[in-house]
Amino acid sequence: MTRSDAEPKARGAVEYGTDLAAPHMLWAALVRSPIPHGRIVRMDLGPAREMPGVVAVVGPDDLRDLLPKGALEAERPVFPLDEIRYRGEPIAAVAAETLEQARAAAAAVAPELESLRVDARIEDIFPEWPSEAAAKDPRVVGHVHARYGDLDAKFRNAELVHSETYRTSGVHQVAIEPHACLAEVRDGTFHVRSSTQTPFGVRDDLASILGVPPSRLVVEGTWVGGGFGGKGAAFLEPYAVLLAVASGRPVKLSLTFEEEFELGRTTLPSIIRLDTAVSRGRIVGRRVRLLLDTGASLPGRDFAVGYSIGFLLGPYRTEAYEIEGFALQTNQPPFGPHRAPFAPQSVFALESHIDGLARRLGVDPIEFRKLHAWREGDRTAYDQPVGPFGLEAGLEAAARTAGVWRTGLPPGHGIGVACGFWSTATGAGGEARLRLRPNGLTILQGEREIGNGSVIRGLAAVAERVLGLPDDAIRVEYGDTATAPFDSGVFGSRTLGALGQAVEKAARSLAHTLASRVGAPAIRLEMKNDQVVVVAGRRRQKLADLLTPAERTAGGVVALGKHYAPERTVDASRVLAGTVYPYQDFTAAVHLAEVEVDRETGHVRVVRYAAFQDVGVAVDPPGLTGQVEGGVVMGLGTALSEEMLWTPEGRLANPGLLDYRLPRIRDVPPIHVKTIEGFAGAGPFGAKGVGEPPIIPVPAAVANAVADATGTRVFELPLTPERVARALKLL
Amino acid sequence: MSDGPLTLTLNGKLRQFEKVPDSERLLDTLRWRAGLKGTKEGCRTGGCGACTVLVNGEPTLSCLLLSHEIDAEKVTTIEGLASEKIGRVVIKAFTEAGAVQCGYCTPGFVVALAAQLRGAGPPPSVESLLDGLEGNLCRCTGYRAIQKAVEAVHEALK
Repeated sequence: MTRSDAEPKARGAVEYGTDLAAPHMLWAALVRSPIPHGRIVRMDLGPAREMPGVVAVVGPDDLRDLLPKGALEAERPVFPLDEIRYRGEPIAAVAAETLEQARAAAAAVAPELESLRVDARIEDIFPEWPSEAAAKDPRVVGHVHARYGDLDAKFRNAELVHSETYRTSGVHQVAIEPHACLAEVRDGTFHVRSSTQTPFGVRDDLASILGVPPSRLVVEGTWVGGGFGGKGAAFLEPYAVLLAVASGRPVKLSLTFEEEFELGRTTLPSIIRLDTAVSRGRIVGRRVRLLLDTGASLPGRDFAVGYSIGFLLGPYRTEAYEIEGFALQTNQPPFGPHRAPFAPQSVFALESHIDGLARRLGVDPIEFRKLHAWREGDRTAYDQPVGPFGLEAGLEAAARTAGVWRTGLPPGHGIGVACGFWSTATGAGGEARLRLRPNGLTILQGEREIGNGSVIRGLAAVAERVLGLPDDAIRVEYGDTATAPFDSGVFGSRTLGALGQAVEKAARSLAHTLASRVGAPAIRLEMKNDQVVVVAGRRRQKLADLLTPAERTAGGVVALGKHYAPERTVDASRVLAGTVYPYQDFTAAVHLAEVEVDRETGHVRVVRYAAFQDVGVAVDPPGLTGQVEGGVVMGLGTALSEEMLWTPEGRLANPGLLDYRLPRIRDVPPIHVKTIEGFAGAGPFGAKGVGEPPIIPVPAAVANAVADATGTRVFELPLTPERVARALKLL
Repeated sequence: MSDGPLTLTLNGKLRQFEKVPDSERLLDTLRWRAGLKGTKEGCRTGGCGACTVLVNGEPTLSCLLLSHEIDAEKVTTIEGLASEKIGRVVIKAFTEAGAVQCGYCTPGFVVALAAQLRGAGPPPSVESLLDGLEGNLCRCTGYRAIQKAVEAVHEALK
């Protein structure tokens, strides 16, 4: 089964955001703050307006003239309303005839700035775990607190309390395609083409940020050259729209890689404190403290903390707990989602902690996890029901593989295990319109393919399974936000699980319509001589012969499928402050890593890897394997080499691929991908999304393997040779 | 700045461009003057390999090369390779191995791999072919499927 987009992409024949162009198009560049914290005292944009080729320059003072309400949304200002909050924050934007002219004019803007105190790094603000008083620090801007059970008694009566502190680093999505968009104004409507995971999300963000009604905005996605969460909200689009309004011409804006890194919208550093109480060999209580750097984020700080902290109890039964999370405001760029946002970091801490605890108790780490693993019917920390869940089955499969690997394990090698859970079928909902024509099926929906295959192949595979049509008779079509049915976006591993349900319902509706037309209880479809044939038992009829005259004119039978997420609630009595996230439709991942640690340099080599992924039902096995392999290798980057290095002065020291090291083709170990099936999720046929889960356990599995190989634990991500060497006391 | 004319043999055809700035990079000449957007713009610092093209048959990062440096020389892009036999073999292998997800890095990989296989005689070893792809980054596939595509190409040409 090959994907229909593979061949055109391989020969360079599809249009991404960076390829966008329009007649009379201008090129844009951002003027970015050279200081990480301060105020604009005076900014004269006049000289930039006089530069060669410049057609429009917009700054904070121009917003009122360009937009009805002046783009003054306090939560997401286009330009700083009061303070500049991070180095590189856009303070003005330029459009010119050529990109060089736009960048030259942007560079020529010389604002007079007043610098304020810089709080760049979590470790400088809180070198040690902050005391209760430090939690009242004005830089702590978000607070989430939840509690359940008699935790004090559990700790008082515990036979053993295991206490550790972990630290994680900022990591970047690094899609190979930089962000890019093109905006123009036509008949009073703002048209935006953008490389985005969420056309409808960008439309609604733009409406809110620019203060214009959604009906005046049309957003069309392009092919996306990698998203990984980084292309899920309006980002460059507001600047492109403003410049298009100011210039009266189409405006293209894309980022350099330096800008990609410096503008962030990615995972930021954290400190995680875990205390676990044990009685009679079992975990009876846990206290969790999370200090999450949320950078210059304004909206979503509580969400970032409330969402992240839930992973620190893990997919395990916990009789009593207290979790408390703080969002720390720093002069780094805003926090943003990155494939399974913050889960790999949380799980690194939790699964390292549990592994160390099992070793301290002298218990096999896999057996210890099995003792506590969620099973169907369990309740989560916030009292939500756990549905069919493949964790225990995954652990059993992992135990068998670990046993094989353990036999003949060379000296200096170690094996580590780690588990993760994820929530799929998320988002508000999705709609799809199916049209069955005499020569095939089209699926019209609002998402563009971002790479993982969930749109172009996943949605087709759902229709294929319901109707029996082969993949090459099914076409997934895209619309813009004015023409396509609504969908929340390609994020949260939700496309197959949520939008897929809309496709499944529409496909079943088509099948039902045709079944009643031929007077049979059920039908399936086949292709013969490029014609759709309706098969009911032994009867076969061409679809063309079953259409009404009106349908023949209209072009076939149409069905609309809708899936809207059910309301999820948590036990509010457990939540003392802030908002916790109601995870849903759980999927499990169990990973095994074998590593070799160089005892002189601290270099960690991953020798082999195995991923056991709870998928409910494998709808597209080759695509599934690709998601797991890709997630594992991205996770190896988080585990071993990827780290955004901020200086105390608020400068990113490694804003490029030469100093921010991604895994390369020769770094990749053999990866055994095993699916755990039979634990049905909410998606079509019981499928669960797999875009994000495979990255989650990776850093922990690697760290646990390093601990197994060396007897020494590393408490900070990534496990660079330097950190490992320090832990081994080689430095 | 002289903004002089530029001549290239581009995918086998002689192409002339007027007033090309001295500072223009080959990547931009190809994408925005010649309209050959199959060569992808990634990091523009030689770190990702998405912009790989052949200059006189040698794999070259077009983002690091000033167009005037190679005036009158031969450039082959993914569009040119796709019509050569070796290009078709490599593209087929990537497609069938599931080595294309978002696809943004793929033309660069195809060019970098095909470059090593255009000569007469048996193909280099799989290990050597993989070494030739160390400068190409892929963020989607985890490279496993790309490794399979390389093995398949090697097998097909052996």
